[in-house]
Amino acid sequence: MVFLSIMFGFEFSWFHYSLEAILIATLIFMLMKSRKQKKEKLSKRLTEKQKDELIAEWEPEPLVPETPQDHPVLNPKFADGKMTKEVSIDGKQYLNLASTNFLSFIGLKRIEERAKSTIFKYGVGSCGPRGFYGTVDVHLDLEKELANFMGCEEAVLYSYGFATVSSAIPAYAKKGDIIFVDEGVNFAIQKGLQASRSRIEFFKHNDMEDLERLLKEQDQRDQKDLKKAKNIRRFIVVEGLYVNHADLCPLSKIIEFKWKYKVRVFIDESWSFGVIGKTGRGQLNYFIFCLLFTKPALINYFDT
Amino acid sequence: METETKTSAAFRFLQKLPIRLTLDNNEKIKKRGKSKKTNKKLAERTHILECANNHSESEEEEEEEVLVEKKNVDIYGEVGNRAPNEFEKIDKLTTLSVYFAWFMLFVFAHIREYVTRFGFVKDLSSKENKKMKNFVPLFSDFEAFYQRNCYIKVRDVFERPICSVPGATVNLVDRVSHDGNWTYEYPGTKTNVINVGSYNYLGFAQSSGPCADASAKSIDEEGLSCCTTVHESGRSVSQAKLESLVAEFLGVEDAICFSMGFATNSMNAPCLVDKHSLIISDKYNHASLILGCRLSGASTKVFEHNDMDSLERILRDAIAYGNPKTHRPYKKILIIVEGIYSMEGSICNLPGIIALKKKYKAYLYLDEAHSIGAMGKTGKGVVEYWGCDPKDVDILMGTFTKSFGAAGGYIAGSKRTIDHLRVASPTGYYSSPMSPPIAQQIYTSMSIIMGKDGTNDGASRIERLARNSHYFRMKLKQNGFIVYGSNDSPVVPMLIYYPTMCGFYGREMLKKRIGCVVVSFPATHMTEGRVRFCISAAHTKEQLDYVLEAVDELGSISRSKFSKQSHVYKNAKIEW
Repeated sequence: MVFLSIMFGFEFSWFHYSLEAILIATLIFMLMKSRKQKKEKLSKRLTEKQKDELIAEWEPEPLVPETPQDHPVLNPKFADGKMTKEVSIDGKQYLNLASTNFLSFIGLKRIEERAKSTIFKYGVGSCGPRGFYGTVDVHLDLEKELANFMGCEEAVLYSYGFATVSSAIPAYAKKGDIIFVDEGVNFAIQKGLQASRSRIEFFKHNDMEDLERLLKEQDQRDQKDLKKAKNIRRFIVVEGLYVNHADLCPLSKIIEFKWKYKVRVFIDESWSFGVIGKTGRGQLNYFIFCLLFTKPALINYFDT
Repeated sequence: METETKTSAAFRFLQKLPIRLTLDNNEKIKKRGKSKKTNKKLAERTHILECANNHSESEEEEEEEVLVEKKNVDIYGEVGNRAPNEFEKIDKLTTLSVYFAWFMLFVFAHIREYVTRFGFVKDLSSKENKKMKNFVPLFSDFEAFYQRNCYIKVRDVFERPICSVPGATVNLVDRVSHDGNWTYEYPGTKTNVINVGSYNYLGFAQSSGPCADASAKSIDEEGLSCCTTVHESGRSVSQAKLESLVAEFLGVEDAICFSMGFATNSMNAPCLVDKHSLIISDKYNHASLILGCRLSGASTKVFEHNDMDSLERILRDAIAYGNPKTHRPYKKILIIVEGIYSMEGSICNLPGIIALKKKYKAYLYLDEAHSIGAMGKTGKGVVEYWGCDPKDVDILMGTFTKSFGAAGGYIAGSKRTIDHLRVASPTGYYSSPMSPPIAQQIYTSMSIIMGKDGTNDGASRIERLARNSHYFRMKLKQNGFIVYGSNDSPVVPMLIYYPTMCGFYGREMLKKRIGCVVVSFPATHMTEGRVRFCISAAHTKEQLDYVLEAVDELGSISRSKFSKQSHVYKNAKIEW
């Protein structure tokens, strides 16, 4: 201490130092004590015995509620054979207006023969995810073909239609991003939005003025904090043909907004693909961002 | 003296393992009595190292044992004496050097990044449309950086396309890259490799035989798709048939099938729990279960992998304290576990979990994605493996992608549960039922497992798988590798730790005509890169020997035989 005081050139005082030392010690003691108390407070709220009593009292709800046995879903009628334009249910012939066999490919011999020869070459399942020996050359061919058909750089296949959009949205939209969504989007998209944990802004179904209002509001918010705005990805999510409303989305207007407000566009064409458009390419003469995605992070695919 | 006790303890421990070891010890091994009921004892057996080191405790245990008349023995040994899950630890120094490997990887990745950015090397990564330059970039910096500079270097060991049925051997499409794995050219040739990468546990991935024939026939009868959702025009007949067979197979009241395994988890968990409930999930649960938890809106708590103490602590606190946000008790608690963990190769401690579940009145959701068909005497999954009652598990979930060589998933349980799912599950309203040929493939393969075709083909497949898995695992351990998980599990993760070793193993194994899976961050912990072998009933002993020999050679070259326990197995004679 003496050495230090000489070195730094000030007068050494026992009283001064001991006082400071005591003060610091008290401070540390107080801090430690309060932290310890806090911990104790949390862990010692209940004793094990009290817990046991509470556990004995606790009665959970049944896992699922009772379902009425006359629910139509529980008593289904099965269609025999193929779901072509006519179906037979319980031996009676009906005209089929229920299934989505729009282009009537069901029962086409040429396709069925190819499917059979595929089974005899590859088996039925691929027994693995895409990353580990689950990619079959047929997948690659189809992806290439699809990308050509849609006029895009790349396409990626999913094995289940329902899971496609609900996993594609969270692949791009993350926490902190913002998604503008039509109110009338289908259930799969809603699940995708939920999984993305982004901020969701709904606009009225097919109401472009409402969408523009939301985009403008966001623009104003961005003006306030330009730095933050640089990291917020924005998306518009629409359907090509709304399954719940049976109308088309005004795509040209949405693309106008895309460039004006720098928003990326997701379009789910599960219902319009192959059905709408001169050559079945969905709504897209100008196509932006389709359901069929690229391998995330490797190739971005944008097209206009 | 000390070493002597150690070795004798090790031998005693070995005898407990349900493997066919021939030791020159004539003393008859005492049969272990009733399956242990208390979770405490079960937890003790979870770690091999604890078992190997706690001599005193294991001695005590043996003294307590009573000889029971009735033997409950199957291909895995006695039901009460299952192989423990092993997670051998490595020393801190190795871990440190793995971090150092990552550090160097990132240093070079950064150098590469700057070299490309300043134009010394041509940037081959895909660019956004020039018009979209002002948009907020689509990918976060780190993600894109990792893909561009780390993943791309080893991209050739992943996503290898195949062009044949993924059986015991598989044809890989050859591909070459002239620009550092950014694009591939396909010269049109193929390589035949031994397939230890696919989840073809029972070898039902076949392009000929009864399964393929029946599937092709069902195309003629029912077409390729139903083109409708389940509720609109009903399930397909083949799916209805399949559902009743699944229920019969598992020994429960009812079952419901879905056309994708991943969606079975992610879409049905929300039907069972809501925001007033609690989900207690294992640390290593699959992404689909985690997504399901997230979508359900329930509070989620995570317990340590297969750790019954941790689970019990969480259960007690959850019931006693209730929801910390609302200060109300939880309405129900759902424990979600998997049968076999696909990355760890470990088997869940089902008796322990069922005991806890009953004690605390929680519900149990068991995901048997990997274990159904592959485990148990008659292929009924871990429930049968542990000798438990399927009715004790509230929700039995599984997939058909693995053992059955098809696609899709099921949920089975009491009629009340399944009825609720049929009505409430969103997949019923919004997605199409299983494609008839796929349903048929599952139906046929499941009938074969159940022996309904009048042969013992199914039983012999299950036995072959069990023997193959034991043999392969024991041999790997004998060769000095660290292998995670239980000895009975057909998923064999072999630890190589270093991320850089993944590329080495992936490529060298391909040169030796073996197709295996290498996994590293982000699929595993940063320091736990691994090679994963999936054993199949279709493999012959010769094929396994060939793979073992190749792995042994590579292990010597790369010095990846990290195990300190190999002396335990040194003199053990391992029979197929």
